[in-house]
Amino acid sequence: MADTVETAVAAAGARPVERGRWERWLIAGIAGGVLLRLAMLLGLSVWFEELGTAGDWIVEGLPWLVLAFAGLSLIAVIANSASGFSLSGNRLRGHVVGWTIAALLLLVFDLLGPQFKPAVSVLGKPARIFIEFCGEHGLFLAAVCLLVAGALAASGSEKQLLSRPGIFERVWALNLTAKIAAVPMMLVALGVFTGGTVWTVVYSFTDSRLLPREKWVGLAQYDRLWGEDRWLISIENLLIYGVCSLVFSIVIGFLLAAMLDQKVRFENTFRTIFLYPFALSFIVTGLVWQWVLNPDFGIQGVVRSLGWETFTFDPLYNQDIVIYGILIAGLWQGTGLIMCLMLAGLRGIDEEIWKAARIDGIPMWKTYLFIVVPMMRPVFITTLVLIASGIVRVYDLVVAQTSGGPGIASEVPAKYVYDKMFLGQNLAQGFAASTMMLLSVLIVLIPWAYLEFGGKKRG
Amino acid sequence: MASVVVRDVSLNFGAVEVLKSLNIEVEQGEFLVLLGPSGCGKSTLLNCIAGLLDVTDGQIFINGKNVTWEQPKDRGIGMVFQSYALYPQMSVEGNLSFGLKNQRLPADEIAERVKRASEILQIEPLLKRRPSALSGGQRQRVAIGRALVRDVDVFLFDEPLSNLDAKLRNELRVEIKRLHQKLANTMVYVTHDQIEAMTLADRIAVMRNGIIQQLDAPQAIYSRPVNRFVAGFIGSPGMNFLEGTIEGGATPRFNAGDTTIDTKGYEFADKPETGTKAVFGVRPEHVMLGEAARAMPYTSEVDIEIVEPMGSDTLAWTRLGGQNFTFRTDSEYAPKEGEKVLIGFDPARASLFDAHTDIRL
Ligand SMILES: Nc1ncnc2c1ncn2[C@@H]1O[C@H](COP(=O)(O)OP(=O)(O)OP(=O)(O)O)[C@@H](O)[C@H]1O
Ligand SMILES: [Mg+2]
Repeated sequence: MADTVETAVAAAGARPVERGRWERWLIAGIAGGVLLRLAMLLGLSVWFEELGTAGDWIVEGLPWLVLAFAGLSLIAVIANSASGFSLSGNRLRGHVVGWTIAALLLLVFDLLGPQFKPAVSVLGKPARIFIEFCGEHGLFLAAVCLLVAGALAASGSEKQLLSRPGIFERVWALNLTAKIAAVPMMLVALGVFTGGTVWTVVYSFTDSRLLPREKWVGLAQYDRLWGEDRWLISIENLLIYGVCSLVFSIVIGFLLAAMLDQKVRFENTFRTIFLYPFALSFIVTGLVWQWVLNPDFGIQGVVRSLGWETFTFDPLYNQDIVIYGILIAGLWQGTGLIMCLMLAGLRGIDEEIWKAARIDGIPMWKTYLFIVVPMMRPVFITTLVLIASGIVRVYDLVVAQTSGGPGIASEVPAKYVYDKMFLGQNLAQGFAASTMMLLSVLIVLIPWAYLEFGGKKRG
Repeated sequence: MASVVVRDVSLNFGAVEVLKSLNIEVEQGEFLVLLGPSGCGKSTLLNCIAGLLDVTDGQIFINGKNVTWEQPKDRGIGMVFQSYALYPQMSVEGNLSFGLKNQRLPADEIAERVKRASEILQIEPLLKRRPSALSGGQRQRVAIGRALVRDVDVFLFDEPLSNLDAKLRNELRVEIKRLHQKLANTMVYVTHDQIEAMTLADRIAVMRNGIIQQLDAPQAIYSRPVNRFVAGFIGSPGMNFLEGTIEGGATPRFNAGDTTIDTKGYEFADKPETGTKAVFGVRPEHVMLGEAARAMPYTSEVDIEIVEPMGSDTLAWTRLGGQNFTFRTDSEYAPKEGEKVLIGFDPARASLFDAHTDIRL
C-alpha cells in the first residue's frame, strides 16, 4: 500500500519537464490555428490574393498546418507522460466525452448540412446561419475539439492529485463554468477594443472614402495628413491646450483643495460651486463661455460700458490666442472635479503627519510639497489619467465655442477625425489621423506603464 | 525646578468643554504618565502642551518660559505619535534629518545627531530603508529617533505602543524606560494601558472627563485611590466593591447584607458618622484563602460559583454580603466550583468610599 502511494507521489510530483513544454506548444498550436483562421476570415487573406491559387492554398492550409503541429505536440505529450494514456479511469472523462461529442456534432453538420436545409428553413434564419457556418468551418472546429479532447484525456490519465495540475488542465478543465461565463465579456472586450482598433489601423492604409474598401495605398494617407496645414495646426493646438490644461488643472485644483482643507467655513458650499460646472456638458460650457468671451456682450462689452473704451479682450476672435479662450472654458469645467479628488486625497492623510511636521518646524508649504504631495501619488496618477484623456478627446468644446475658427486657428485632432470621417467623406484620412492619435497616446503610455509596473517587479 | 507647568488650562471645542481648569507640574527629569479612559482628554492635554492646540484659557510653561503662544517647534519638545506619523516617502535617515535641515543646522551636526540617535535606538542598519519596509516596532523606534535628534528637554508620547502587538509592546516599553534612565529627560506619556502606566511612571495622573482625579506615585494610586473611579480603573482584575452602611464608634464597622467588617487599622480621613452609606473596596489579589486566611482580621466562609483559570493564577467568583465578590489565588491551590472555602483579608489594605460622593473616607 505504502509502496503504491510512493510511486504515485513520484509519478505525480516529478512531472517531466519535456511534457510541460509540449503542453505549452499544444496550447499555442490550437490557439494559433484558430486565431490564424479568424484572421484570414477578417481580412488577412487579402495579402495572399495576388498569389492566385497558391494564395488560396495558403489561406486555407496555413491554419490546418498549425493545427497539425498541435496534433504532433499532443502525441509528444502522451509519449512523455509517466502514466501513459487511459480512457476508462480518466479523471477528466466528462470533459473528454463532452469535447468529443462536440467534435462529432460539428462533423455531422458539416457533412450532412445540405440535407438538413429543408428542415432548417422551418426553424428560421439563426438555424440557417448556423448550418452554413458549420458547412464552412465545421471540419476545422471538429479538429480543434478533438485536439482539446485528446489533450484533456492525456492530462486526465495522470494521477496527479498530489501535484499542481498541468497547464492544459488549468486552462480547459478547472473552473470551466466561470470561464464560460466570462467568454461573452472577453469577446466584447476583444471585439470592441482590440478589433475596432486594429480595423481602424488596417483601413488607414486604404483609400476608403465614403465606405471602407480594401484598396491598399500604403502610407499615402499619412503623407497627406502631415502635409496638411489643418492637421499641423490641430496638433499644435492640442499640445498647447494639453500642456496648459495639465499644469493649470493640477495646480489650481490642488491649491483650491489645499485651501478648502484649512477647515474653512461653508466648505460644502464652495465645493458645490467649484464642482458645479462639471455637471454641465461641454456643449453648454462652450456656449456659456462663447457668450462670456463675446466682444460685444461679454467681458469686453461690460468693461467698455464702464468707461474703458479701448479695452480689448476677445480671445475667440483672435487667431493667435483663440486656443487659450478654449482653455479657459476647459479649466472652468474641469478643475472642480480635480479639486474634489485632491481634497479626498488630502483628507486621507493622517492628521498626525501634520502634527509631526509642525513639531519638526517644517513650514506649511514645505509640508505640502515634500510630504503630503508625495503621499498623494495615487490621487495624482488618477487625476493625470482623467485630465489626459480629456485633453486627447477635446472636441465638443471647440465645436460649441468656435467651430474651429477663426479660419482653422482652433482646430483639434478629434475634430479633424470627425470632420474627415463623417463630413468630408474621407474615411481613410480620418482613420490615419486617429491612428496617429492612438500612437501618440501609446508613446506616452508605454514608457509610463513600464516605469510604473515593470520597475516594481525588479525592485 | 519644574520642567513643564500647566496652569489653569481649559480647552473647549465649540461648546464642549474638554479640559477644565487643569493644573499639573512636571519636575525636571520626571516620567509623568497621563492615564484615563478613551475620550477623557489625555491627547488633548498633550497637544496643548505641544502647542498643536491653542488653549482657551490658562498658561503653559516649559523650562520656566511661558510658551502658551509659542509655535510647537519653539517649545523645546519632541513628540511621538500612536500612528508613528513617519514621512512615508523619505528614508529613515530622511525622516530623522528633515526637521534638522529645516532648522538650517550644519550638515556635520545633523549627521552627528542622526548617528547618535540611531545608535541609541539600534536602528543603524535601517537608515536607508523606507518606513514601509519596516515593522511596527522599528517604525516606532524611528519615530522616537525623530524626537531624539531634536535634542530637547521634554518628550511627549501619545500612546506610542498602542498599535503594536503585546510582545513588542513589552519590549519597547522596557526600551523607553531604559531611554529615560539614560537621557534623564522629562517625559509626558499618554496611555490607557495601566500596565504601561504602572511600570513606566514616576507619577501617574489619572484623568476623567478632562479633570485630573489623582496625581501621585503609582504605588500610592494603587493602594490609596482617592475616589471610586480611580480605584476601579487601576488594577486588573478590578477591585471588589461592596455596598453597605457605616456603623460609627472608636473603630467604625461596615455592614453589608449579612456580613459585618471591622475596619480596624484602616486610616480614615474623617471618622464617618453612623448610617453613612459607603462602598467597601477590596482588591482581588489582597484576599487570602484557606490557612493564610485564618491569620487575617476578617474571615468569612463562602461558596465558590465560578472559577476562571488564567495560567499563573486563578480568579474565583463568589458572593459576600449578598454581592458579587472575586478573589485571586495561586492556580495550584485553586478551589473547585461549588466548594465551600474560607477567605480573609486585612481591612487596613482596603478602601472605603462615600456612596454619594465616591470620595475616599
Ligand atoms: N477636533 C475636535 N472637535 C471636537 N471635539 C473633539 C475634537 N478632538 C477631540 N474632541 C473631543 O475631546 C474629547 C477628548 O479627546 P482626546 O482625543 O483628548 O481623548 P483621549 O483621552 O486621547 O482618548 P483616546 O484614548 O481615545 O485617544 C473627546 O470626547 C473628543 O470627542
Ligand atoms: Mg488620544
